[in-house]
Amino acid sequence: MDLNYITGILTLAGINLMAVLGLSLLTGFTGMFSFGHAGFMAIGGYTSAMMTVKFGLPFIPALLIGGLVAALVSSVIGKLTLNLKGDYFCIATLGFGEAIRLILDNVQYFGGARGWPGIPHHTNLLNVVIINIVAIFILANIVRSKHGRNMIAVREEELASQIVGINVFRYKLISLMISAAYAGIAGGLMAHYMTFLQPKMFSLTKSTELTIIVIFGGLGSISGSVLGALVLTSLPEILRAFSNWRLVIYGLAVVIIMITRPSGLMGGYELTPSSMKTLYTRMKNKNKGLPNQMEGGKTI
Amino acid sequence: MSQLLQQLINGLSIGSVYALMAVGYSLVYSIMNFSNFAHGGVIMLGAYFGYYYLTSVGLPFPIAFIASALTTCVLAVIIERGAYKPLRERKAPFLYFIISAMGTSIFLENIVIATIGPTFRTYPEVLSRTPIQLGSVSIGRLDLAMFIISAICLALLVFFIDHTKMGKAIQATAYNIKASALMGINTDLVIIVVFALGGFFAGIAGVLFGMKYTVYPQIGVITNKSFIAAVFGGLGSLPGAVIGSILLGVIETITSGYLSSQYRDLIAFVLLIAVLVFRPRGLMGKVTEDKA
Amino acid sequence: MFKKTLALLLVSLMIVTLALSGCSKPATETGSQAGGADASAGDVIKVGWMGSLTGDQAVWGQCELDTIKMLFEEINAKGGVLGGKKLEVIGYDTKGDPQEAVNVAKRLTGQDKVVAILGPNASGSAIPIAPVLEEAKVPDIATVATNPKVTVLDGKVKPYNFRVCFIDPYQGAVAAGYGYDVLGFRKAAILYDVADDYSQGLTEFFEEFFTTKGGTIVAKEAFKFGDVDFRPQLSKIKDANPEVLFLPVFFKEAALIANQARELGITAPLMGGDGLPSEQLFTMAKDAVQGTYIVNHVDYDDPEVQDLKSRYKNKYGKELELNGYLAHDAVVLLVDAIERAGSADSVKITEALETADVKGVTGRIKIGKDTHNPEGKEAAIVKIEGDKYVFQQKYSAKLD
Repeated sequence: MDLNYITGILTLAGINLMAVLGLSLLTGFTGMFSFGHAGFMAIGGYTSAMMTVKFGLPFIPALLIGGLVAALVSSVIGKLTLNLKGDYFCIATLGFGEAIRLILDNVQYFGGARGWPGIPHHTNLLNVVIINIVAIFILANIVRSKHGRNMIAVREEELASQIVGINVFRYKLISLMISAAYAGIAGGLMAHYMTFLQPKMFSLTKSTELTIIVIFGGLGSISGSVLGALVLTSLPEILRAFSNWRLVIYGLAVVIIMITRPSGLMGGYELTPSSMKTLYTRMKNKNKGLPNQMEGGKTI
Repeated sequence: MSQLLQQLINGLSIGSVYALMAVGYSLVYSIMNFSNFAHGGVIMLGAYFGYYYLTSVGLPFPIAFIASALTTCVLAVIIERGAYKPLRERKAPFLYFIISAMGTSIFLENIVIATIGPTFRTYPEVLSRTPIQLGSVSIGRLDLAMFIISAICLALLVFFIDHTKMGKAIQATAYNIKASALMGINTDLVIIVVFALGGFFAGIAGVLFGMKYTVYPQIGVITNKSFIAAVFGGLGSLPGAVIGSILLGVIETITSGYLSSQYRDLIAFVLLIAVLVFRPRGLMGKVTEDKA
Repeated sequence: MFKKTLALLLVSLMIVTLALSGCSKPATETGSQAGGADASAGDVIKVGWMGSLTGDQAVWGQCELDTIKMLFEEINAKGGVLGGKKLEVIGYDTKGDPQEAVNVAKRLTGQDKVVAILGPNASGSAIPIAPVLEEAKVPDIATVATNPKVTVLDGKVKPYNFRVCFIDPYQGAVAAGYGYDVLGFRKAAILYDVADDYSQGLTEFFEEFFTTKGGTIVAKEAFKFGDVDFRPQLSKIKDANPEVLFLPVFFKEAALIANQARELGITAPLMGGDGLPSEQLFTMAKDAVQGTYIVNHVDYDDPEVQDLKSRYKNKYGKELELNGYLAHDAVVLLVDAIERAGSADSVKITEALETADVKGVTGRIKIGKDTHNPEGKEAAIVKIEGDKYVFQQKYSAKLD
């Protein structure tokens, strides 16, 4: 395998991971399903590209501004839609994603549907990895904090959490805003990796792809999201030689995973040094004939 | 004035296409409480079956029409057995159903591309394309036929649900699946029937869509609009699905005709959000209580 | 539990086997028949292809790839290039997606080590691969990517991007000029795809040139990719009463628009760019598209293209689509460059491409050093009569 090619795929996996981490907080920890995250990526991507190209800002501040703008937009959308239940929220976010794309198609300042070439190339594997490590660190701390536990409570029993005094709406909004900020930064990374932006890149397919990665990795597991992003970004590349059949296999694999291992790759477990140790002891116990508890995973 | 009339007719005709697609989708939602995104794939296959029954098999149109609807019936049930039943048995949360549905939809679209190929197919002309002229307003024969067929099918469906034992069982299951099972209703059978009905409507929608426009693997994309229409009208409600679809069709045409065709979908989306802000369950959505 | 593990194992096994067999046997097609297998690696020149094999434009992508395979087979049967080296094409699907295109370009240049890339057909895919090409120093010859920014950005030519087709401003100028000067249209309506780069570009340039000439755009309506019903827009256009309806779209939409326009009683002739010509247009809307004028890359009746047409039809049993002609010219251009470079070195091929001047089926291709476009290429105006694209005339427009 060629190094340049692998680096390219890993960089892309890293960019996807950034968006997936945010979505993991929203879907995996707060239990809400979004079909519009490509829209937040688009907002972040176009904003940060505007910062570097039109205002000459350095890369990192531009990324952060992109994330910030995405979070602000999400707060407006969230205020309107977060009270909606289940599929209503899904379809509303679906409509949001499509609407963002339509606006970008029409705005000639950004090149409209014809796209925006000539964005400087800043994203590389090194800074993607560093940004992701920082992002994982922040996310892990959020999840383990009181706020993170409240979010999980909202996911598990919305009504009950409301009764025990958790401000459900507020936690949903915080979760949505953080996830949008992550998606926005991912969009910025994408813009400076591709050096080209086109509204087409942020289609509904992109949003569903992100959600599939979160579920594949396992709801409520950050390490699952990391594994999911790595596996599912490279899977289509590995299957590239099958041209038309690769998406058939991809679709089938998604269904089979859902019905055989619905808790995803990690099934709510985290891959931390201590859990590795537990796993190791379990493996040893298994050899002694004790039941293996990792098998079924934790159902959510 | 004549333009407004023409636009209303256009809107009704587009709306009735959405309605046919939204009904099957809403029906499944009423029982299963999740968005069956594989519905678009089944509609697409319905269009292909209709095309091949007409051309390769050479069936006369009415028989080909029914045959493809029956084929998608079976197909929808197979999808239910394969992709949803295992989840149902495990009482998985609705997220898993949606992901499974999306996987199925990716699978269906791409298996058609891989086997039949990506080219467009055109139905042989069953009805003349020359429209009926009423003054300066023209009404397509196919549009009229579609409108009538949709109306008949919907009427039959309403009759079935209101006046047969199975229909009542469906209503009961939609109201509360657990309690219905306790009352001795075979909910598994009800679910099969609902998917079969959904598949039947998908087949009809597919064939009519194929006749009117064309057949290609990405037909499923259009169903996104009918999902939005169903949410508009209220998920799980059949009248809601129909009214939402017709409304969306008319709003879209009026927007393109009088406001801006560039921003049509944006305006439709803003309206959707506005409706949801004031009526979080759409215009006439099914009310499900929060499980405490 | 056991069943679950088994199923999971099966899935992983399936993926792994596929991956392994994929690595050992990529979707290549050695042009040579039996002898190809014996040829050692040094005797094979690998050429990449990328384009849409899925999505709306899959018909065209498939045709491009098939044409290139056929031509390479023919060249190899005649003894190959550079005195006996065989040509081999490695083709991948971009799904028309920019991100996929970048992946494909990285794979072709890095993993498969091709000396040049042919395609893609979409500008949105051709633009973002430029940095990859520059890094790998591998040239790309785009087939029908007509956006000016494919080869020139901010006044600077991209060193490794070439193309064999004319560009959008030129196409828009030809359509506007022919419509206004030759056919005498003064009032035009446009129906375009707001979510498509090609459609937006062509709309912009047609509008610009048509209004500068003194014509008026009486209606400019848009739809969004994926739409199938255009009657709301067409009803509005009908009220504006244009003399010509300009359709900067692809054949699927064009066919649907044509059918619906006729249903609504719009009788104005249609006009379109190089997105229209396809055999599919006739199967979908034969009656409705009669009399349509198209700005095309090639005159289908030209005696010089008949040979290529029949060779393709004999081999694949299908009509040759427009993209096939341009893929043919891309192959001609590349083979010429390889021969003149005297080696299969990608940098030398790029140098040779800069000074290329060859004759293809779509006209003379003389690559401009500052634009990497074929200079002064004339457009062929064709008109649909029956199920034929009847050649009207060659037409060239001045851009300033």
